[in-house]
Amino acid sequence: CRFLTIALCDAAEPWQLGSQDAATPMMQGIIDLHHDIFFFLILILVFVSRMLVRALWHFNEQTNPIPQRIVHGTTIEIIRTIFPSVIPLFIAIPSFALLYSMDGVLVDPAITIKAIGHQWRASTQPYEYSDYNSSDEQSLTFDSYTIPEDDPELGQSRLLEVDNRVVVPAKTHLRMIVTPADVPHSWAVPSSGVKCDAVPGRSNLTSISVQREGVYYGQCSEICGTNHAFTPIVVEAVTLKDYADWVSNQLILQTN
Amino acid sequence: MAAEGKAPSLAEEYSLPSQEVQLQNPSEEKSAVSTVAEVVPEKSVETAPANEATVAVEETSQTPEVKEPSDEPEAEESSAAEESGEAAEESSDAAEEAADEKPEIKIETAPADFRFPTTNQTRHCFTRYIEYHRCVAAKGEGAPECEKFAKYYRSLCPSEWIERWNEQRENGTFPGPL
Ligand SMILES: [Cu+2]
Repeated sequence: CRFLTIALCDAAEPWQLGSQDAATPMMQGIIDLHHDIFFFLILILVFVSRMLVRALWHFNEQTNPIPQRIVHGTTIEIIRTIFPSVIPLFIAIPSFALLYSMDGVLVDPAITIKAIGHQWRASTQPYEYSDYNSSDEQSLTFDSYTIPEDDPELGQSRLLEVDNRVVVPAKTHLRMIVTPADVPHSWAVPSSGVKCDAVPGRSNLTSISVQREGVYYGQCSEICGTNHAFTPIVVEAVTLKDYADWVSNQLILQTN
Repeated sequence: MAAEGKAPSLAEEYSLPSQEVQLQNPSEEKSAVSTVAEVVPEKSVETAPANEATVAVEETSQTPEVKEPSDEPEAEESSAAEESGEAAEESSDAAEEAADEKPEIKIETAPADFRFPTTNQTRHCFTRYIEYHRCVAAKGEGAPECEKFAKYYRSLCPSEWIERWNEQRENGTFPGPL
């Protein structure tokens, strides 16, 4: 992003065709993989359309009234069987490498954040930061409500802004635990390359490491019902020190 | 965005400061754009809500200690758990003293566990919960070596689950091996 003061660089923009700017190595990997594969896709597209157009052009009733009597050609059949099956193999190598590196389950995280999908608390996404608890009852919990359609401030995106953002430290390994309280939801932040399904009775893990400070926008990406589908998710990445300040402020606020 | 020299996209055009780009109808857009620039930084301050007076005091007196997780090998865990116990005591103290001091924030959480290498971490949370209660059953309430398990399951389990399990343990209907 060119202008650091503008927050909305990591939200979707009108008529956007490509991905949002990468904020994590994962998303960078996804974008790179997409571009790499697309290079070969274009090659194949050009090659196949050339064959198709050429065949239609040369072998029709006007130019070639007598049909060819060829029924098979061993060499070409072998080539056109082997070659297309090798291409997916070559696509699979970087794809699987990326897939397994995205798991990252066995890397020690620094912070655990729990995102809990709630449908019946309208348009909200509760978050829990429980690394700093000293008992079961006390917990740093807050709800992230959508700013209603009729009162966004100037510069805020309609139905994409929330009152309490998820504050995370940048350049830190985060563990997101995603679980719903009712129906399936899905916690997704495109510029982090994360989309994690929230399945009732199960807690799913996804790890992110945001590489730059900023505000990242996403939405609940499951058709989970009235009042929650498309509920915005806003992640605000700050420095580690600011994060610690924020947590201690939140703890003071919640204990009072 | 990607290339510096490129023509700005639609969204960039709307979000540029007014001196950078001449917009089609500057009178309306400029006002909106400049408000964006002013509003957004304020927003981020508001999201970290703070008693302003206390912040002013604290900024001069004390900043919370931030510890990188990479600094702590796993061997330190027990001592770390004790320290964070102290930190938590501090936080309750701080609440009593009308937020005179910030609680010390220790950046640490449950480590990755080789028993649970998958995306599904349900068992991880459940196991840590059981480990804690078995530990307490074996070593007695408030044993210091059990505290780390408590921290782990609190980090990993959704609080609704913990509440439900605590209830079930009280009623004697808890499904796990305790
Ligand atoms: Cu949802």
